[in-house]
Amino acid sequence: MNFKKINECERSRLERWSQFQLSHRWKRVGIIICLVAFGILTSLKFMDGEFLEHRFVLRRAILIGLLIITLSKEQLEDEMIVSLRAKSFTLAFVLAVLYALIQPLVNALVFYILDSKDISNGFSYFQVLSFMLLIQILFFEVLKRNR
Amino acid sequence: MENTIKVERAILSITQDELAKKIGVSRQTINSIEANRYVPSTVLALKLSEVFNKPVNAFFKLTEDD
Repeated sequence: MNFKKINECERSRLERWSQFQLSHRWKRVGIIICLVAFGILTSLKFMDGEFLEHRFVLRRAILIGLLIITLSKEQLEDEMIVSLRAKSFTLAFVLAVLYALIQPLVNALVFYILDSKDISNGFSYFQVLSFMLLIQILFFEVLKRNR
Repeated sequence: MENTIKVERAILSITQDELAKKIGVSRQTINSIEANRYVPSTVLALKLSEVFNKPVNAFFKLTEDD
């Protein structure tokens, strides 16, 4: 296989992957997964016990639910919707990077203001990913409403 | 980019919804194009051209900003 053919094959595979989307009915599935997982996660807060494994699974369920919502098509998926989705992905990506950069500074600021005993330097992947997915969904809905 | 889609639509006396159905987009997309908030792709412009039976540059015009 020559270089041109490899290039062509790579391009078509990338094109196919970049256009991957779930059908509209998956949106409801994503919302249900998110709500159920969030509900259980909230109720665990008020129960005695560690529930570390449960939290681990439920957090992943929320992320999967949000990802399903993000990837599912609209009822009428036209080119303007595709363009709005692309805009919302860009905004979400930029804001997530800014969030990741600013969050440690906010932690440090809170540490100095409240004079806390221990400073937390990091933040969980769940925080960043859920922030990014929620921002994407939010911006997409706002852009869609204001079109 | 400016357009006279609203005028063309009035000539054919069709609603935004009817035009949207003819070219396979949502009514909101037609509304955004008419309000110059969204510039459609070449494919959509050609579909509009087919509906109005006019060349694309008869209802899409470049402005000084373009």
